[in-house]
Amino acid sequence: MTWLTPVTGAILAAAVIPPLILLYFLKLRRRPQAIASTLLWKRSVEDLRANAPFQRLRRNLLLLLQLIALLLLVFAVMQPQIQAGRQRGGKTIFLIDNSASMTAMDAGEDETRLDEAKRLARERVEALYAGGLFSRVPGESMIVAFSDRAEVYCRFSRSKQELLDAIDRIRPTHGGTTLADALKLARAYTTNVDPESDRPVGAPATIEIFTDGRIADLPDQVLRGEHMIYYRIGTEEADNVTITAISVERPYDRPTAVEVFASLLNYNREAVTCDVQLSVDDTALAVEEIRIPLAEMDEGSGQLLPGRNNVVFTPFEQPRGAVLEIANLRDDALLADNVAQIVVPPPKRLIVGLVPASSFFVREALEGLSLKRLELLTQEQYEQRAEENRLDQYDVIVFDDYAPPPGLMPPGRYLSFGRTPPVDGLNEFGEHGAQLVLNIREEHPALRFVNLDNLRIGGGHLLQPAPDVEVLAEGSQGPLLVAVSRGAMHLIHVTFDPGMSTWPLLRSWVTFIFNAVEYLGQVGQGLTAKDLAVGEAIATRLPSSATDIALAVPESGIVPLEPRDPSQLSWGPIRLAGLYVLSWEVPDQDETQTRAFAVNLLDEFEGRIDVVPELQVGQTEVAGRAGESGVYTPLWPWAVALCLLVLMLEWWVYHRKMWV
Amino acid sequence: MAKLDQLDVMSRKIFAGKLQGERRSKKRGISVEFADYRHYAHGDDLRFIDWNIYARLDRLFLKMFLEEEDLSLIIAIDTSASMHWGNPSKFIFCQRLAMALGYIGLTNHNRVSAFAFDSGGERRITSLRGRRRTRELGSWLLDLTPGGSGVFNDAMRTIALGRQGKGVMLILSDFLLKEGYEKGLRYLAGGGYDTFCLQVLSPEEIDPGRTGLAGDLRLTDVEDEDTAEITVSAALLKRYKQNLDAYCGKLREFCVRRGMTHMTIDTATELDKLLLDYLRKRGLLK
Repeated sequence: MTWLTPVTGAILAAAVIPPLILLYFLKLRRRPQAIASTLLWKRSVEDLRANAPFQRLRRNLLLLLQLIALLLLVFAVMQPQIQAGRQRGGKTIFLIDNSASMTAMDAGEDETRLDEAKRLARERVEALYAGGLFSRVPGESMIVAFSDRAEVYCRFSRSKQELLDAIDRIRPTHGGTTLADALKLARAYTTNVDPESDRPVGAPATIEIFTDGRIADLPDQVLRGEHMIYYRIGTEEADNVTITAISVERPYDRPTAVEVFASLLNYNREAVTCDVQLSVDDTALAVEEIRIPLAEMDEGSGQLLPGRNNVVFTPFEQPRGAVLEIANLRDDALLADNVAQIVVPPPKRLIVGLVPASSFFVREALEGLSLKRLELLTQEQYEQRAEENRLDQYDVIVFDDYAPPPGLMPPGRYLSFGRTPPVDGLNEFGEHGAQLVLNIREEHPALRFVNLDNLRIGGGHLLQPAPDVEVLAEGSQGPLLVAVSRGAMHLIHVTFDPGMSTWPLLRSWVTFIFNAVEYLGQVGQGLTAKDLAVGEAIATRLPSSATDIALAVPESGIVPLEPRDPSQLSWGPIRLAGLYVLSWEVPDQDETQTRAFAVNLLDEFEGRIDVVPELQVGQTEVAGRAGESGVYTPLWPWAVALCLLVLMLEWWVYHRKMWV
Repeated sequence: MAKLDQLDVMSRKIFAGKLQGERRSKKRGISVEFADYRHYAHGDDLRFIDWNIYARLDRLFLKMFLEEEDLSLIIAIDTSASMHWGNPSKFIFCQRLAMALGYIGLTNHNRVSAFAFDSGGERRITSLRGRRRTRELGSWLLDLTPGGSGVFNDAMRTIALGRQGKGVMLILSDFLLKEGYEKGLRYLAGGGYDTFCLQVLSPEEIDPGRTGLAGDLRLTDVEDEDTAEITVSAALLKRYKQNLDAYCGKLREFCVRRGMTHMTIDTATELDKLLLDYLRKRGLLK
């Protein structure tokens, strides 16, 4: 139990209780009355009460009742409250986790963890700002929601209503959970720098964090003097089976058929059996029953190793495009990872442009592919079309030892060899001599079945890639293959001229060209579900003449979009998993064009939803508090009611004594 | 008065008196009520020889009769200041009661004596007999004035020592005596008196709550100025009544153990009802 105004109450008690007791010690002015004999009266009075003052006090019910009433009044003035947090004068930051794992339904009847967290946060705000008449002014508070990114819902404020409204506005997301951004934001708002000494001033803030504790970057964080209070949301026995991967392929020999794979993880301590359903355009097609082994603790690393199993559906004919959905029909706490969708475009033959037309090895390889059309472009033709913005007819453009002038490489899909194209993040700083391949990223779709062991390179360009550039193959002197993926811009760049290497003589050359063109040609419409994840943005190219562009967003309905340039359309960040359908009109076509984007959770880390008992923030351990620890219940109304009751009792006792 | 004329003072014992009265005595004597026979002895009054038996048995027998004697009625009145309290006043009530009982005694040719006692001393009027002394008794009673403190024990001792003959003694007092009544009553216990302790209490003393005693009071004893501070409450009144009952019960037990009769009389009681009903039932009057 805490007291909001104990000093006021103590002063009141000191002011009223001693005088009351003194009043009882004072002689009463009594009315004189003659009587025949005091014999019996004296006996009666002595019988009723002993002469000792304390005994007299003890037996004086009226005094006792009046004292109780006064004490209750003092109690009420001190404004006691139970299970309420301490009232602080400093700054408080409420960090509310709204990541995917917080949508788990284990907080109560039809209540998600986020609902529980918001309820608790509301109670904490109520407790902090529930001061009565005599309480001191509470400190400021800020509301921040965090998932894979942090968002300030309310800046520092003393307005309880403002804070409560901010908490109400927090919506769930299907993002991952990281704390770095949230802490950065919090520190940005709390660190005041003294302009004279240029040093931070003021006490560090108190951080009240409402989460299930599954935070990916928690070990990397350090508390810089902040006091953290961790409100544990959720249960340790949460049941969850998650879909962590989905892939769809059209078999090489049957381009009209579709083959679907899915991978499921079991985080429960017992093996589970799941029915996994495959639907095509909302029509159930097949159900496979799989048994997933139990999760086990790896004693060496102390990590929980989830049980894993894959499901493979028999290839089926799907010559047209469709939305495929994999659903785990077994009920568990987290519903968001029970469904994964993927958009399968119709079998597509690509239009590829090759610059310059004089290319030999590359052209030879491209001509061997099953393309719809291969257009050979001279540098001038390319540059002219780029200026006229007519490059969107090509699915992939290939540069063979050609770098277009800066500004003439609009967002699109490019495969380049030799000279470094003018793309941010690719910084050329010289040329290299002969070198070997040290390692390659075989898991990248462009390098599947590509063996570069026998590749010898005579010379090429030295490259300093930016951090967001993915290095696909590393040579002895620098990157050999890099991939850039920025919005609608996708590029795979080979830093050397194939003619200066043995690559065109190897079988892997054709395989690479095929993989790279197919990969780039399908990017964004993909057969790879991981291409769009929560937190990323939808970026696509629409015809420049597209109008009435709208996006159907899960749980939000139709969102009209008005991009300045439809060929560089982007929308995001994506906050919820699900199917996003982009629609637009083209003036010379009657039908509305649509393009679907599937966004899936597919996050192993978020799939584990058992609550963490205590947070390990750097070297600091923060013990979790039970959900109810912040409940605020003021007691003064009860004290006042009880006081009135005692006064009524006192009145009754008094009149019972006086009415004879 | 006519009703009183029909009453007489009763005694549970038959007491001898100095004058021949209307009361049967245990002593054989001259009356009309036959008691026994005995052999004639020399010197006996020849008038009482039963000549019929002599004619039949040729032996002299003497007839014996119960002798009727008069009764001493002693009325002792407490005139201390505490008696002049209550509504109606206990003293006035005692005056009226003493007058009525005295009248009954005088009417029945009893020897009536009256004593009044308080701290101012003892006043008495003795050996009144016959209806014509009624005025004298009334005048004596009217001259009495209450005051002073109670000297019960001394007064009882004086009365016991100065009494003449035997008879019925009536003590009219409230018996609310701080020095106690035991010693005084013991003086009267052994003398063959048929003693009646008439404890006269006012309604204010019997049920003070009902007669309006309320609030925070400083009670002052009218006799010794002693004070008691009280806050009248239901509990206090209840306790007072318990104490009063216990006090009266103790006095009654004391009297019964010593062959005396104790009666509690409320001054609110009608005098004729008291005399014609209550005292007759309790055996003081017939």
